[in-house]
Amino acid sequence: MAIRRINGIETEQMLRSGLANLQRRETEINRLNVFPVPDGDTGTNMCMTLAHGLRNATSHTDVNVFLKTLSAGMLLGARGNSGVILSQFFYGFSQELSRAALIGPGELRSALIRGYRAAYQAVLQPVEGTMLSVAREGIEHIRGQITRSTGVDVILSMYIAEMRKTLAQTPEMLSVLKEAGVVDSGAAGFILIFEGMLSYLRGEPVESDQPLTAEAPTAPAGPDLSLFDEDSAFIDGYCMEFLLQLMNDRAYDQSFRLQTYLAALKELGSSIVCVQNDRRVKVHIHTKKPSPVILLSQRYGEFLTFKLENMQVQHNEYDRQTVQPEHKPLAIIAVANGEGMCQLFRSLGADCVIDGGATMNTSAQEFVSAFEELNADRIVILPDNKNVIPAAEQAAALSGSRQVTVLPTASFAEGYFALAMDIPDSPDTDERIRQMRRGGEGVATIGEATASRDYSYHEIRCRKGEEIAFLNGELISVSRDWRTAVTEALMMLEDIEDKETCIVFRGKDIPAEREEELAEAVAQRLPMLELEFVDAGQEIYHWVLGVM
Amino acid sequence: MKKFAILADATCDLQEELQKRYDVHVLPGHVILPDKTDIPSPLKWETMTREEFYSKLKKDPNSYTTAPANTQEFANAMEKIVSDGTELLTMTISGGISGAFQFASLAAKQVMEAHPGAKITCVDSMRFGPGFGLMVAYAARLRDEGKSLDEVTAWLEENKNRFHQAGWLDDLSFVAKKGRLTNAKAFFGTLAGIKPIGEFDYNGLTTVIGKAKGAKQAYAVLMEYIAQTIENPAEQTIFIAQTSRLPQAEAFRDMIRERFHPKEILINDVFPACGINIGPGLMAAYYMGKPISQGLTEERAIIERQLNKGE
Repeated sequence: MAIRRINGIETEQMLRSGLANLQRRETEINRLNVFPVPDGDTGTNMCMTLAHGLRNATSHTDVNVFLKTLSAGMLLGARGNSGVILSQFFYGFSQELSRAALIGPGELRSALIRGYRAAYQAVLQPVEGTMLSVAREGIEHIRGQITRSTGVDVILSMYIAEMRKTLAQTPEMLSVLKEAGVVDSGAAGFILIFEGMLSYLRGEPVESDQPLTAEAPTAPAGPDLSLFDEDSAFIDGYCMEFLLQLMNDRAYDQSFRLQTYLAALKELGSSIVCVQNDRRVKVHIHTKKPSPVILLSQRYGEFLTFKLENMQVQHNEYDRQTVQPEHKPLAIIAVANGEGMCQLFRSLGADCVIDGGATMNTSAQEFVSAFEELNADRIVILPDNKNVIPAAEQAAALSGSRQVTVLPTASFAEGYFALAMDIPDSPDTDERIRQMRRGGEGVATIGEATASRDYSYHEIRCRKGEEIAFLNGELISVSRDWRTAVTEALMMLEDIEDKETCIVFRGKDIPAEREEELAEAVAQRLPMLELEFVDAGQEIYHWVLGVM
Repeated sequence: MKKFAILADATCDLQEELQKRYDVHVLPGHVILPDKTDIPSPLKWETMTREEFYSKLKKDPNSYTTAPANTQEFANAMEKIVSDGTELLTMTISGGISGAFQFASLAAKQVMEAHPGAKITCVDSMRFGPGFGLMVAYAARLRDEGKSLDEVTAWLEENKNRFHQAGWLDDLSFVAKKGRLTNAKAFFGTLAGIKPIGEFDYNGLTTVIGKAKGAKQAYAVLMEYIAQTIENPAEQTIFIAQTSRLPQAEAFRDMIRERFHPKEILINDVFPACGINIGPGLMAAYYMGKPISQGLTEERAIIERQLNKGE
């Protein structure tokens, strides 16, 4: 049955439910914040604004009494742009109802209109694609349909549906949203408040202490089946995943051995993962023909779960989603090693990071492939080894019309400093390249590792198992202690007293606590040198130091 | 004639002593702490030291947020001042990074409607922190020289583009996250020893106009940059700001004093209202000089020439 009128107490309860609904999604709304206007976070600001209003409101059956105190509290408690707009909306809303004891359909319609008009006045230059547009279109599109007999709940549900339509349009209305691929956060928060209010009217108020996990279940979008039809090529096969229960019944083969089963699977497909846990076997396999796998498995038991997916559909979907990368005046390809280091390089602005691996022999082909992926007028390559420079130059020569510059960085420490000196803000690509060149110059690279065999070089010899350090690729110190090997190498630097900082890349499997030990050992000899550590994860070298 | 009052929001970073000295009112904004308590943005280190605050912030940057004073708060503060007929100049943090100017302008409109005859002007400083504070100090000085509210307001609009920042921000993770640079997508990484040099731009944000390798090179480049952009240093008060870089700021102050002999040079703190968004890595001087060029092309060229010279 439609709800005809609501009083002040009901309005208060509705708003409490609205606030609770917003609070549950506060973090989510904060995450939508894309503006370079860090006035706080939208979700938090809106929650604080409404909460302040409710805390300071007087409960009263007459809706005008309640709303007057609520809006006064909201005006005072308003936080940030979104909070100010929200508070102005409720200010207008309450102004419209300043003589009303109850809210009926006509009152609600007028108040929603007065609300958005007040909100527009709250900003000097109203921006469309925000809470303002949602509040305006939400009511303007439905006002003609509201009659004296329309239920308050019906109006709210129409209002919300219209606002949702506008919300979906906000990226089209405001380019910053489109670029960030999100809808407007304030608008989304505004709708959540009204949804919470409607829930109350429907007898399902949102409780403020409700756990955050009560998310509306959204079905994950399945693959688009139109991507595979009678004319499609079937190359990728199926992805099968199942959990097999081995059975004790004599009807089943009792001679199950994981190794033999695995060997049989290998004849039937690829990408096999097979794990046995007591009498259950978890299997993952890619194959074009699932039936032999099923027959083989059913000899031993029955399926507890079973999943079969056409990988061609997924592949085609992937192809469709792969979009042209953003066009850039200058793109950077860096060679690094180790997950942490690759991440660091990416975060510093490298458009493509090639993990050169332990052998450090990135091929020209890898560079050429990287060129293909980039959409840039110019490309800069930062190699991680002297031996990689020719391959990079080769690739540059093969690249045809592309303008590629290979900087002679001979270690990833040099590459790091080159990248750190780039000024992505600058419109002048020549200047950026000069900056990177400067960055790589004058960097001393020290690498520390354990000797894998006896070795002698000029005056220096080491035995297998000893700790050795290289300076710019040449063996320079040997010790039983890794700390000594590193500090000795540092002390060999001619102008070490003039050096200011040192970035230290920690290798794979080296515990983080050792950073402290190394810092102490270095500080004893070179107290002024600043060390900055990175969990880089490179292979072979326990430590790589770039000294500048 | 009675002199007009000046109201600035707390991001001007003028602490009590300077507020008294320049005779300005400061309106606090909001600082929201990790436990969600909302405190008026402080302009002194009361409950913790500068170093404690910045080291906590560094560990947990996302738990601290800020919000400017809202329209109502601006209106209340303005009302108190203008109710006895005093005229008021309101100055706010850069509109490029905050809604404060809008809030102040609306509040001024409301208050003037409620009090016919009241006179309030609002100026968007297009600056923040001590760069904004320095502009407030200039406004106060002009007022003390006998200039009217309209004259000072016009002067600020005419000259705000001449307030420079020469310094570095060596922890860009904060500004990148909080959006205080123009194109900061690529700045999350560690910047061991590299000193990005930042200047105010046309949009009231800071932009990296060059990078120096190490503090020594950075100081040298900055001294030349100041020399080529400053005007009449001998008559100026120069502010030096630092978030958590006091020793570097002291060294910088001494160098500037020795070379430019300014009338006065003060090291200022950056308090949480701005500091939360800047992080611990700021060390910069603020002064008046030549108008800043659009797109910062001339400023970039100065830095580039200095870096080339060093090679």
